[in-house]
Amino acid sequence: MERTELVTKLTAVFRKVFNNDSLVLTDELTANDVDNWDSLSHMLLITEIENTFSIKFKLKDLNKMRKVGDMIDIIMSKF
Amino acid sequence: MVFTSFNFLIFFPLLVAVYYIAPIKSRWLVLLLFSYFFYINIKPVFSLLLGGVTLSTYVFTRLIDNTTNESGKKAYLIINIILILLPLFFFKYFGQINNSIISLLESVHLRWPLPEIKLILPIGISFYTFMAIGYTIDVYREEIEAEKNLGIVALFISFFPLILSGPIERAKNMLPQFNLLKKLDYEMVVQGLKWMLWGYFMKLVVADRIGIYVEAIYDNLQFHNGTSILFASILYPFQVYSDLGGYSLLAIGTAKVLGINVIQNFNRPFFSTTMSEFWRRWHISLISWLTDYVYTPLSFTFRKYGVWGIVIALLITFMISGIWHGAALTFVVWGFMQGIFLSIEALLKNRRTVFEKKYNLNNKIFYISFGILLTFILFASSQIFGRANNLNDAFLVYRKIFTTSGPLFIGNPSVFIFSLLSLSLLLAKDFTDEFIPGFLLFDSKNKIIRVIAYSSIIILILLIGVFDGGQFIYFKF
Repeated sequence: MERTELVTKLTAVFRKVFNNDSLVLTDELTANDVDNWDSLSHMLLITEIENTFSIKFKLKDLNKMRKVGDMIDIIMSKF
Repeated sequence: MVFTSFNFLIFFPLLVAVYYIAPIKSRWLVLLLFSYFFYINIKPVFSLLLGGVTLSTYVFTRLIDNTTNESGKKAYLIINIILILLPLFFFKYFGQINNSIISLLESVHLRWPLPEIKLILPIGISFYTFMAIGYTIDVYREEIEAEKNLGIVALFISFFPLILSGPIERAKNMLPQFNLLKKLDYEMVVQGLKWMLWGYFMKLVVADRIGIYVEAIYDNLQFHNGTSILFASILYPFQVYSDLGGYSLLAIGTAKVLGINVIQNFNRPFFSTTMSEFWRRWHISLISWLTDYVYTPLSFTFRKYGVWGIVIALLITFMISGIWHGAALTFVVWGFMQGIFLSIEALLKNRRTVFEKKYNLNNKIFYISFGILLTFILFASSQIFGRANNLNDAFLVYRKIFTTSGPLFIGNPSVFIFSLLSLSLLLAKDFTDEFIPGFLLFDSKNKIIRVIAYSSIIILILLIGVFDGGQFIYFKF
């Protein structure tokens, strides 16, 4: 999957989980920049991403996700 | 030795002098020696345990780093965690389990004189054990390399400002600082001293004054009416905040004077508008530790159950937090209540966000005030279980609050007035820091205002500080 296509799909996931239709993803975006993105909603986000892209994360992947850019790289590496 | 003891007033300036005179490369050794001296002063034999935990952690983190196969790494991780948890379990829960067996036997009418076990909990063990476990897991997760210098690992685990009650620091933050200690930085020293002063105020003036009142009520519940018990229960969260928060500021300030940055442990928690926000601002180092090493793995495991997976993970995490606080049923209930509050919030979150947006509530003062008040009431009602001596007492507190009333117990009028006065001062500072950040007394640009502010605090500490006061609440955890 192309990175741009992935970002489009991922944006839809983010908008759904955080109930925010104007959310725009950038590589540098972190949990601090998004309302309601805390350790509770994070796991819902992870599950939603897994279902959307039909991938499975490992716990180690989660610890490496410091910002959205890391997240995209990790999802890319799963294809 | 504790921060509020007279010995510390000799120990600390001496350490600072030796530390800054010593060549930069040997300063870690100065810190290590002074840290062990500090700990040995509490009870010499406990330092053997500290040394044992350090040695085990050093050996196993090196083994994890030098092993290539995944199952080997995992085995070393598990062995070290079990090894260093054993003393914690033994000292903290053995006596309690022993008593539980006795009462279980008694409940089925099997009664004979069984010996009770009374162990003294090695002070700080819960805190340094958590730091050692965190470090081991970080090495296993390859977030940090295992430190090769045993002395630096020993310093991390025994660092005197943190060893008795936290903040529970991470190797990622501390090891690089210990490996590269800074030159004397005047600004840091001054900032550190300011935090220490405010820490002393919170502990000696606010916490210990309120503590006298709360203790008078909670240790004599049968003699007090619902009004007084309610009042003491409202005061207790403030006592814990100024006790552990004051201790934390002393720890952070002490480290800062030595040029070392330690994470913040409290961030004006009583202005939180939800429980989840509260737990991001209260005892931050413990909660972030639990989030990284307990909640995240658990919720990851249960993620296929969606929101309910999160609920299960939350409940288990806070039950563990409760049991960490003490091996008593009161703390289990306390942890369970936090888990329930947070779960309900998680379940209602989306609906609430929609509701708040629809009526544009997030900027409304009445809505913010309502959130702050509700959060406080929920937390204070759980803290009744944190304070009561046993479950029966906790239920008695609830029963009396709802069924009896009468005049408020004042006790010693000066204790009562000073408690309220000092608490108001603390809350006023927190309030201005939170809502009017431009209103500065302690960091005012005007030197005269600064001097007056700090002098007043020193005078208050000397005048109404409790110097024969008790221990820090968290020393027992």
